[in-house]
Amino acid sequence: MTQGGRARGTDRRTFLKTAGAVAGTAVAAGFPAALRAQAPTVKIGTLHCVTGPLAEPGQACRLGAQMAADAVNAAGGIKSMGGAKIELILGDTQTKADVARAEAERLINAGAQILMGTFNSGDTAAVVPVAQQRRVPFLVDISAADPITANVAKSVRDGQQKVQYVYRNFPTGTLFGQRAVQYFTEIFKEAGVSPKRVVVMHANDLFGQNQARGFQAAHKAANPSWEIVEVISWPEPPSDLSTEVSRAKAAKPDVIAPITRPASAQLLLPEIVKQRLDIMGIVGPGSPGLYEAGQIAALKENLEYVMASNPWPNFKNPRTRQVSEEYAKRSGGKTFDTNSGYSYDGIFVLADTLERAKSTDPDTVVDALKKTRFTGGLMVYGGPVIFNEMGDNPNAIPAMIQILGQKPVVVWPKDVAAEKVVFPRPKR
Amino acid sequence: MDLTLVGQGLLSGFLFGGVYSLMAVGLTLIFGVMRVVNFAHGDMMVWGMYLAWLLSTRAGIDPYVGFIVCAAALFLFGLMIQRGLVERIVDAPHEMQILLMLGVALVLENAALVAFGPDPARVRSPLSQATVWMGPIFVDVARLVTFGLAMALTAALWLFLARTDLGRSMRAAADNPYGARVIGTDVRKVYAAAFGVGAACVGAAGALVSPILPFQPTSGLGLSVTSFNIVIIGGMGSLPGAFAGGILVSVAESMGAVFLSPSMKELVSFGLLIAILLFRPAGLFGKTAG
Repeated sequence: MTQGGRARGTDRRTFLKTAGAVAGTAVAAGFPAALRAQAPTVKIGTLHCVTGPLAEPGQACRLGAQMAADAVNAAGGIKSMGGAKIELILGDTQTKADVARAEAERLINAGAQILMGTFNSGDTAAVVPVAQQRRVPFLVDISAADPITANVAKSVRDGQQKVQYVYRNFPTGTLFGQRAVQYFTEIFKEAGVSPKRVVVMHANDLFGQNQARGFQAAHKAANPSWEIVEVISWPEPPSDLSTEVSRAKAAKPDVIAPITRPASAQLLLPEIVKQRLDIMGIVGPGSPGLYEAGQIAALKENLEYVMASNPWPNFKNPRTRQVSEEYAKRSGGKTFDTNSGYSYDGIFVLADTLERAKSTDPDTVVDALKKTRFTGGLMVYGGPVIFNEMGDNPNAIPAMIQILGQKPVVVWPKDVAAEKVVFPRPKR
Repeated sequence: MDLTLVGQGLLSGFLFGGVYSLMAVGLTLIFGVMRVVNFAHGDMMVWGMYLAWLLSTRAGIDPYVGFIVCAAALFLFGLMIQRGLVERIVDAPHEMQILLMLGVALVLENAALVAFGPDPARVRSPLSQATVWMGPIFVDVARLVTFGLAMALTAALWLFLARTDLGRSMRAAADNPYGARVIGTDVRKVYAAAFGVGAACVGAAGALVSPILPFQPTSGLGLSVTSFNIVIIGGMGSLPGAFAGGILVSVAESMGAVFLSPSMKELVSFGLLIAILLFRPAGLFGKTAG
């Protein structure tokens, strides 16, 4: 039925007008794209805790990643992809797991083809399901909690997920624990003393609990001549640690093994001095708060002689020294350390992977990641960067760092040591 | 159970209670007089801490002296906030108050973030590490001084409310704002003074606590929650309640840390809160409804 003069369907003129408009738009939109195709970019969503309680290490991570991206691009980008530049899309987790999740989604919606981050184990764990769901390769540059990769590996083994998209270039809690126990025993032997009683004091967040568990498990397996006589934890961040330190003192320790965050370290170390704990030394199995520039400035002599088993840049590598100088300039005098270093290496590992993958297709990238054998890292490694069946790098190892002369230096293992270890610490 | 540990826990807890009391006094005053819940409490305290830090690092003024400056600065800030913002919502529904003060808290927290950066800071005072030993038990001098000053401040505030005209006007306005207006009290001025004095207490608390607690711009929320806990347990609007509440919460947490485990001490203080809300909702010293 005709409706009073209006033609049914489209008449030829309307059709030609519409088709012409569409074609014109397509050409106008497509033409610059054809020009732009000569400078493709790979978008890497870089997600760290740059605000919140863990902001100091988070900002170090971000700067390390930015410097690495600049270096890769300056050297010609990803050559196998036509010189594609790495473009970092930055995200801030605010050190909150729910924000981390939301930020990961936002970065992926903004075009991120790969994710890297986040420093804080709790936030990283929150991002893992997003990466798996959205099929976005996620390289964990820093986070120690074992479940981050272990859970995904298990669900792939059990057939619940097809592909593992989460990989980690950093020691796991288990590995931290094993190396810490090994270093403790070796350092005690080197110093010619035999402390018997070690008290572990740790922050009660995901990272702290995981580290403490890893240390205790490794101790049980190795069965050395020293005992862990007490394990004391606190809610992070704490407002008062006097009772915790009193409890530690009551356990008559020879060595205190702290697993801290920057805020708790600032409370714990002065409290240990105040309560006059008569100990041979403070040796950490691996945690933040015991070596950063800001911590040394705040704690001064309370941090002297304190040791922590942390991943560290290999300053015997001349490239590391170069990058470290540039880092000092760009950060206003901060030390190139664990956090900036591993984020830096993370970007280079991704660049190497992209060279071999020649594409940003998630499954192709994951295949290339699994085959990684990267030797261009700046950190102390026990071999090339590889990924095992859990998605972790077993060659990412910590070294024992000691604060000597208000500066963090590697003191163990001997072959990467810059100075001799001081243990027991001198009496005040 | 190791008696030394229990004794030390009791003593440390008691002294730290002075710190908690100081935190709570400002909050309870503002609520008691104006029925405004100051959600920006913790963030104002963080600003007090940062001001003390500035005085200490730039001018070399010890926080145990500089707290007066911090109190004065926050008094002025409190006056400004009250005149400019709070006044408009004193009679408004509670949700509006909450939103406004949360907004103030957000602005304060992010201003601190911009001004001072996110890293934890601490004020170093020669008293920070001083201890006095009595056998195996020690007294933390910094906390002893803070305890003493908390008592002095609470006593001064008590005298102010009981003996001065302005103080009496505040109590009148708190009991019956309409009646207070009828007898000629300038309720606006009273409210402004109350908020200012409350803010000054918070500023002093921040300064006195700054050598003891490491703080960051994000510390505000945790401090607010702790202060609310203390004030609810002690009774909102009651000065002795804030003081007693602070000590009670601190000792409870300390005993929780000694007998249960240090990571459970917040369980104890929040358990106490639940118990109070169940059995004596007005708080230990609070007036029951009316």
